[in-house]
Amino acid sequence: MAEGKTDLLRGTLDMLILKTLSLQPLHGLGVSQRIEQVTAGVFQVKPGSLFPALHRLEQEGWIEGSWGESANNRRAKYYKLTAAGRRRLGEERRNWAQVVLAITKVMEAS
Amino acid sequence: MSAYRRIISTFRSLFRKEELDRDLDEELASYLELLTAEKVRAGMSPERARREARLELGGVEQVKEKVRERRVGAMTDTVFQDVRYAVRTLRKNAGFTLVAVLILAIGIGATTALFSTINTALLSGLPYQQPDRLVIGLKTIDGEMSGPVSRVDYFDYREYSRSFEELGALTTFTMQFTATGGRQPELVDAGFITWNLFRTLGVNPIVGRHFLPEEEDPGGGGQIMISYGFWQSHFGGDPAVVGSALNFDGNPFPVVGVMPPGFRFMFDADVWALVDKNGPFDSERDSHSHWVVGRLRPGVTMEQAQADVDAISSALAEQYPASNAGKAMLLTELQSYMVRDVRLSLLLLMGTTVLVLLIACGNVAGLLLARGERRLAEMAMRSALGASRRRLLRQLVTESLILTVAAGLLGIAVAYLLQGVILQLLPVGELGMERPVIDSTALVFTLLVSVATGVVVGVIPALRGTASDPAQQLRSATRASPDVKSSRLRSGLVVLQVALSVALLIGSGLLIRSFAQLSTVDLGFDPQNLLTGQLQIQVSQYPTPEERNQFFTSLLEEIEALPGVVSATVINRLPILSRWQDWSIWPAEQPSPSIQESFSAMARWVSPGYFETMGIPMVAGRDIAATDVPGSPDVIVLSEGVVRALFQDADPIGRMVNVADWRTFEVVGVVRDARVNTLRRAPDAAFYMSHAQMAQARAQIAVRTAGDPNALVGPIDDLLRRKDPNVLFANASTMTSVLDDEVADFRIVILSLVLFAAVALALTSIGLYGVLAYHVSQRLNEIGVRMAMGASNGDLLGMILGRGMLLAGFGLVLGVAGAYPGTLVLRQLLFQTPPLDPATYVVAVGFLGLVAAVACLLPAWRATRVDLVEVLRRE
Repeated sequence: MAEGKTDLLRGTLDMLILKTLSLQPLHGLGVSQRIEQVTAGVFQVKPGSLFPALHRLEQEGWIEGSWGESANNRRAKYYKLTAAGRRRLGEERRNWAQVVLAITKVMEAS
Repeated sequence: MSAYRRIISTFRSLFRKEELDRDLDEELASYLELLTAEKVRAGMSPERARREARLELGGVEQVKEKVRERRVGAMTDTVFQDVRYAVRTLRKNAGFTLVAVLILAIGIGATTALFSTINTALLSGLPYQQPDRLVIGLKTIDGEMSGPVSRVDYFDYREYSRSFEELGALTTFTMQFTATGGRQPELVDAGFITWNLFRTLGVNPIVGRHFLPEEEDPGGGGQIMISYGFWQSHFGGDPAVVGSALNFDGNPFPVVGVMPPGFRFMFDADVWALVDKNGPFDSERDSHSHWVVGRLRPGVTMEQAQADVDAISSALAEQYPASNAGKAMLLTELQSYMVRDVRLSLLLLMGTTVLVLLIACGNVAGLLLARGERRLAEMAMRSALGASRRRLLRQLVTESLILTVAAGLLGIAVAYLLQGVILQLLPVGELGMERPVIDSTALVFTLLVSVATGVVVGVIPALRGTASDPAQQLRSATRASPDVKSSRLRSGLVVLQVALSVALLIGSGLLIRSFAQLSTVDLGFDPQNLLTGQLQIQVSQYPTPEERNQFFTSLLEEIEALPGVVSATVINRLPILSRWQDWSIWPAEQPSPSIQESFSAMARWVSPGYFETMGIPMVAGRDIAATDVPGSPDVIVLSEGVVRALFQDADPIGRMVNVADWRTFEVVGVVRDARVNTLRRAPDAAFYMSHAQMAQARAQIAVRTAGDPNALVGPIDDLLRRKDPNVLFANASTMTSVLDDEVADFRIVILSLVLFAAVALALTSIGLYGVLAYHVSQRLNEIGVRMAMGASNGDLLGMILGRGMLLAGFGLVLGVAGAYPGTLVLRQLLFQTPPLDPATYVVAVGFLGLVAAVACLLPAWRATRVDLVEVLRRE
């Protein structure tokens, strides 16, 4: 991931991960691929950012990891959203909406 | 996240670290596998897919390190790691560690010792109750500070002021009573106090009671209180001492109380008697001899108390204009007043110590920088393995912190040793303050200094050590490349060290010159071969003035008859040994002057031959003669200073002068001024009356000898025993040793400063040597090539020496520039030496230059011994 994109993602990466996991439990690679896919390649989450974020979120108690089998029978660690994580996602979503609204106002001011 | 969960997580990551790490390993492995599998599915060959996947992951170790850093409790964990690693590294480099710790321990120890002394002397309270509420009252005339207060004024202040819980006083002089009745007569120091002085201080007797207010009144009974030491030595600590009486000068004094051990206030005294409230002595408002000490009432500020006192002062000035016009009493905190003499010396030593500590820091930082360069490869390796720069920085700073904290611990031991020395040397304990100890405040100070030192010496080398690009470092790791910036930094450090050292040398030099000036100053009398001592006869044995005079006259004759004695004389107060007693004097035909206009000079009375014995030149007229006795006209000899002030240098012989509204004297002679009080003051104006006409029972004796004055102590003592066993002859000492004592404090300050300067100089030479030696080792190849090109030994020597002297030169210029403002602080301690004394500057700069040259010579010489073949082969 280019440095500029890191900046773009800073602070929002947690929210993107939580949102992604709110749809279905996924392993690390799954999370990064899903984000890349949904954003049509604008955001690429590299392991150097992904794993620290995942482990941090797990320590915060917002997601929970457990070992399971992948589609093609390989062992992988799957993460799923906890109840606390769901509440957290709600908070982040509201904050984000406010930020977007505020920035839009500034940009559209004439 | 809840606090509970955070704590659990912290513990989990601390104690289940290995489990977490294993989990992470597996997770990353599975990530790689999944990614590889996907790439294979997309049509890549398995090998290519694995390689691409690895590239995409971007270094398993880096990712792991990043995850660890973001874990809760990561700080605690990595700090443990840093400490463990640092201790291991330091242990492996025992030599380096030892040198660095020792250098720092000396610096930190010295700083701690001085800090705790200063803390106790200047910052902590006096050993009295609530010392911050205690004030001292000093007389001012027209706003100018001029010393103690009149006894009569004091009683008015005590009567009318409303700001003090208690307002006590003690006389500025101590008396020496002769205690008789025991085995031998003995001099006892006595102080005179008001009944409430000890209550003002808040110190209670451990046996018996305080004085009572009515005991101050006439006929109160002459009670005394005694010191703990006196109680132990004379009464064996018997509590029954209360109520028994001591015989002083033939009169019985009942003891009412014993003060606690270690108690003293202003002067050493073993006995305290009450100020005679209505006695004839010092009964005038223009006679000033009392220190006034007050305890502020709760809630009363210094300003309010001062306003209160000022109101009384103006009322007194109105009522007694002759004695009190323009006079007032200024309140000062007792604490700051009592430390005024040692404050400058202590602060000077403290400043010096900090400079030495900085120089020591310079050396250790230099060592760390040099070591950092050798560890560049290690740093590059660790950063390749995933350590961030911040992590490496923290690692290096942790190492230097461990060094300095270890040095701090050792420094405490150094501080204990040093403080013993400081206490012996500086008169801190004599101020009536506790003996300083290294207490918890000082230990906290040591800790702070250690940590600050650790950061100071650690940060710059650490920044340098981690700044370079790891890839490049790894490539050239086999051969340490000269790091230009780092060696520039070390050179900068050495320049600073030289600058600080030369500033210290200049300071020491100025003080040494002052000391030399002080030692050779013209005293106005000749101190060589002069024996001094105290004499006291019992008034009861010699009740009339004639009998007393007869005793002194015959005694002096008998002493002069002893072999080895040139002449002998008595005076009330010998120069330097006893000070002050300045009385006003004016021409008899003029009215008595107001206190503002009066001229005072030192009042002395002497036996015939005093001036000749002391070596004070007679300028005009005659000496006091054997015929100037009670009954014959009162005569006086003036010093030139008095003649100048009273008669504008006109011939005064035969003129009449009044002394302190007391007696009128005829001027019979004029002598030179001499230094009567202290060495530092200009020669004092003094007037000399006839000892016989004063008919005193007490005197100081001066004996001029042909050889060693000490040899005569025994014979004079024997003579007195035979003549009258009740006569007291005490404190025999040569005038030169009196003078030595006078400058002892100053000598100690100088000695410490010279010692510090020497340490600074040694540390600086080591620093300079280190930098140059390193410089030579870095330039071995260049030197080899130059030798091959035919450079002579002289060229090489000059090249290296020149480099060293360039550094030293920069430092010298910087130091001299910095020394000037520094020496202004010293001004108060200097004596007949300007702060810009050129000789001192030249000698200091020359000396440091010489030392620097010697420190540079060894590395330079080594450069010429380089083995050409070996150097070129190494290439």
